[in-house]
Amino acid sequence: MGFWEPLFFWIFAIGAVGSSLAVLLFRSPLYSALSLIGGFFCFAGLYALLSAHFMAVTQVLVYGGAIMVLFVFIIMLLNLSDEDLGARRFSLHHLLAVGVGVAVFAFSVISIWAIFDHEQVDAARLEAAQAYDQALEGTGEEDAEPAFLLRTPSRVPGLYADLSEASLSEAYDERLDSWEAGEGDYADDKYDRFDPTRPMVLPPALAEGAQGPAEDINTRLSDHRSGGSLFGTIEPISILLVNRFVVPFELTAILLLAAIVGAVIIAKRRLT
Amino acid sequence: MSWEPTLAHYLLIAAATFSIGLVGVMVRRNAITLFMCIELMLNSVNLTFIAFSKYRVDLDGHIFAFFVMAVAAAEAAVGLAIILHLFRHKKSVNVDDAAELRY
Repeated sequence: MGFWEPLFFWIFAIGAVGSSLAVLLFRSPLYSALSLIGGFFCFAGLYALLSAHFMAVTQVLVYGGAIMVLFVFIIMLLNLSDEDLGARRFSLHHLLAVGVGVAVFAFSVISIWAIFDHEQVDAARLEAAQAYDQALEGTGEEDAEPAFLLRTPSRVPGLYADLSEASLSEAYDERLDSWEAGEGDYADDKYDRFDPTRPMVLPPALAEGAQGPAEDINTRLSDHRSGGSLFGTIEPISILLVNRFVVPFELTAILLLAAIVGAVIIAKRRLT
Repeated sequence: MSWEPTLAHYLLIAAATFSIGLVGVMVRRNAITLFMCIELMLNSVNLTFIAFSKYRVDLDGHIFAFFVMAVAAAEAAVGLAIILHLFRHKKSVNVDDAAELRY
């Protein structure tokens, strides 16, 4: 159990919520934009804490570096004065909106609370803490902080309530190993190359002409698992994007092309 | 709530920022600020996806969040172009001034 991870989590969490409130409350859109940029950096920090390294960097690049630049550019271009922004007034409409927001938040809290079987989670944490203490018995470190738990299941199968970094590496390496050996749940064959002649519903072991593990060094994931986990790094995500998720990938490219052309046409002045 | 972040912590942060963005969309009258609150909601959904992705030890959440990000970028570009075009005609970015379907 570290001191730094929870500290940074709370810094980024309070930063994210605080900056969202600032976006809501500032009158000038420029101040809202600047606090939103701060909020995006806090979100990127939260993604890094969740071992989503590629997504954290992409968040900063895409949101902070492209989208918010566009927003600030448009705000500066429009150059609204204070009178244009309108006076602040309170009305029943604002109260109702806040009420709806609080209702949505309450609903989310209740559903989040319901995901976890709290007795089971607490029992698993207690058991792990006792196992940790027992393992330390006899050595000189009985008073050390109990290790935060490994893997605590939640009420939903396949979903963990608590997961430490070490257990994440271990669990993900197991998945990669089972994938490379050709075993594992057939739904995990998402890393295989898209082969339209192969029926997608059969498990790999039963399919006609089942593919064995990749022999070529270039199709194996890089073997730096001794250093750290590959979870959330760019290599597995890129494999997924060009194998299993190639169709959404190409469609997104078409969407971006349409957006570029549309934005240019809508925003340009008439040539006459 | 414990100090150590668990899945529930991340989900609650996402729910809070989503609700704040929702209130912002309903309350703010400036079109650009409205748009920023929409981006805030999209970000909170991304956080939910990535949190679940870690606690299921599965990268599908990252992929979905990546596509949400790409679509949000495309939407921001086109939406701001529309706001700019509207500003040229109405001389205002207040959404109340654009409440009718006629030009």
